[in-house]
Amino acid sequence: MRLAAVDALAAQQGLHPSPNLSDARAQVRDLEVREIGRAHLEHIFADFADWHSNASPLVAVMSDLAAYGDLCLDITGTAHLFGGEAAMLEKLTGRLAALGFTVTGAIADTIGAAWALAHYAPGTIAGAALPECLAPLPVAALRLDESQVSGLARLGLRQVGQLYGRDRKALQARFGLKLMARLDQALGHLEERLTPRIPIAEYFAERRFAEPIGLIDDVLACADDLAVQLRYRLEAHDLGAQSFPLLLYLVDHRVISLSVNASRPTRDAGHIGRLFRHRAERLAGEYDPGFGIDLIRLGASSTSGLPGHQLGAFAGMDSREDLDRRFDRMAGRLGPLAVLRSKPVNTHIPEQAIPFEPVVARTPDESEAAADPSLKRPLRLLPVPEPITVMFAEVPDGPPPGMVWRRIAYRFVRTAGPERIAAEWWHPPHELSVAREAEPRRISIRRGEEREEQRLRLVRPPTPARDYFIVEDETGRRFWLSRQGLYGEGEAPRWSLHGFFA
Amino acid sequence: MHTRGKQQLEDLRARIARLERRLEPADLSATAAAVPVHEPGPLDIVTRPHGLLHEIFTADQRLAGTALGFGLGLARPLLTSDRPALLYLQLASDRQELGFPYAPGFHRFGLDPDAVVLCRVETVAELLWAMEEAIGCRAVAAVLADLAGPHKALDFTASRRLALRISATRTTAFLLRYGTGREASASALRWRVGAAASPPPPLHPPAPRPPPLAPAPAKSPLGSRAQRLEGKSFELDWTDHGFVVVARTGAGRAAAGRPAASSRPQSAALGHRLSEAG
Repeated sequence: MRLAAVDALAAQQGLHPSPNLSDARAQVRDLEVREIGRAHLEHIFADFADWHSNASPLVAVMSDLAAYGDLCLDITGTAHLFGGEAAMLEKLTGRLAALGFTVTGAIADTIGAAWALAHYAPGTIAGAALPECLAPLPVAALRLDESQVSGLARLGLRQVGQLYGRDRKALQARFGLKLMARLDQALGHLEERLTPRIPIAEYFAERRFAEPIGLIDDVLACADDLAVQLRYRLEAHDLGAQSFPLLLYLVDHRVISLSVNASRPTRDAGHIGRLFRHRAERLAGEYDPGFGIDLIRLGASSTSGLPGHQLGAFAGMDSREDLDRRFDRMAGRLGPLAVLRSKPVNTHIPEQAIPFEPVVARTPDESEAAADPSLKRPLRLLPVPEPITVMFAEVPDGPPPGMVWRRIAYRFVRTAGPERIAAEWWHPPHELSVAREAEPRRISIRRGEEREEQRLRLVRPPTPARDYFIVEDETGRRFWLSRQGLYGEGEAPRWSLHGFFA
Repeated sequence: MHTRGKQQLEDLRARIARLERRLEPADLSATAAAVPVHEPGPLDIVTRPHGLLHEIFTADQRLAGTALGFGLGLARPLLTSDRPALLYLQLASDRQELGFPYAPGFHRFGLDPDAVVLCRVETVAELLWAMEEAIGCRAVAAVLADLAGPHKALDFTASRRLALRISATRTTAFLLRYGTGREASASALRWRVGAAASPPPPLHPPAPRPPPLAPAPAKSPLGSRAQRLEGKSFELDWTDHGFVVVARTGAGRAAAGRPAASSRPQSAALGHRLSEAG
């Protein structure tokens, strides 16, 4: 056990995140220790990061070294809103410091340099002379792991500046490509991108509140209003959008994100407002505005061209459009994975042939994936095949005479099959693999020596081939049964019920 | 006197039918105006004009496939270019119990898998909401709701609500239900569907053939003539042209002389229905 973090009081006593807990206990009596909840911290930090998107739309958590703790904002084009870079840095760090967080920050042209400065020279705003700014920092500022840092220290390389102009090949051979990559990233020779936590909305409308609001009805009314604003903005560019994220920034540094999707590009404010109403109904217990909401932002993404057309007297309601709107609404109210279509996939395996896909986010089908109409397939399929007990098959690989399913016995009067469906060897998991034989064979070679030879041969992994039967019982119920495995092999075959025919 | 009483009764029935926006028995056949009204046969009920709430009951959940087949068979002719969609609603918790509709099996009922939208809901209240929403849409041909067990939320009031909504928009809805109970409901038609043993095909005796179904209208709003069909059971077979009625034979005599329905063109009886199917 070791200390992961210490607070200010403990630091005064001379403690620091050290490898050993018992040492720390020896050093400071009645030390209060708590277990660190990394998953919880990560979650909290992610929420915290989202909230910072009120300063800049591009916010990312840098998880290179730790899953939480490093927040990165792309402030391109936003600094002037805060009155310059220095003022912005002061405001962002100051508002956190006021809440009791220990926070350091820096502004630089590259992500790597900003990280280095924030950790080892807080408060710096690096201008054009980036290499000079970084040169005096320790090499750990390059986001290296401990072994790399200690390795460099052994060579006497302790500062970033000492790495400039070194022989790249030698360094790369010793410390790997990563060291050079980190250096290049920090100096801007190698591009590094942020993965924003909140997808970038191409168009958005927002409203700030002097007094925080809390009621969901107020939020929805505001969303309606923002949808109208957004509509004019989209209309000016002849655009429609399919995805509408609504972000509610809470006073207590959290963000509630509601998002609705439309199956066809739209900018109809009434429709968007209704979708949010349905989405809110599903929210129920999740909605907890805490101390209130002080900023609401409605974005529009996945935009595509939507030329204006005349509405009113001569426009009849397109029934297809009506259908899509219903689906949008149902998906909003019932959840995005509730309204589904069957998407054909080119495979023989029955349960994989038809994955479901949300109607509102449909993708084009492959042309050759359509089901083969000559195959007899059941009308209903069980998501998980249910095991059945089969007395015995009269012919070894033939259909069974009866079964017991859900504790009821059935006797079959008509059967058809088998239809064999084997694993698809052209897909990677079922590839022919090289297997070792269980016992190496002893062979003698010419000089009379004996040596063991690992005989390698190509084997198929036990292919999960299934034989399907269509059976009908005395009263006319028709089932689809499958048998996995063969009689006479080591393991007894497993029978299961997979579907029902009409 | 007796005939006058009967006449009054007929008038009253017609008035109630008008109030409830039922269709007159005369609407059942296109030739009704010219020809003296003929006895409505089973097919006339099966091919009823759309815009009704049907309940399809099967005795138990093991017949889920049969119920769905019958429902899809009734719904297929309702699909037109104006109403291209079919909605199937099911509780997420019933999926393993009943199985979900499997698209590769649809082509036997002449359905394009793309036309069928599956809706997976969590509660019955959500299911009823989604059903109403779908009924209100003019692009939906039919709504099938599948409920494995009886539910408190689906009572007479709920079904009346659905029936009223249907009468406004003329979308057909089917409730697939299981059990032998006679719950009160406002549905226009209640079917009790069973499976029938497949007839032996000519060349390969033991294989199951395309299945016949055995529905029996248990409740119908068709007026006195059609009411004679109430409670009577008949056998249907699904062919490429739609349902056909097969001569009712005993299970033992099935081998004797039943026509192989699907191999014979049944165009005469089905002509006008195909035009309806668009």
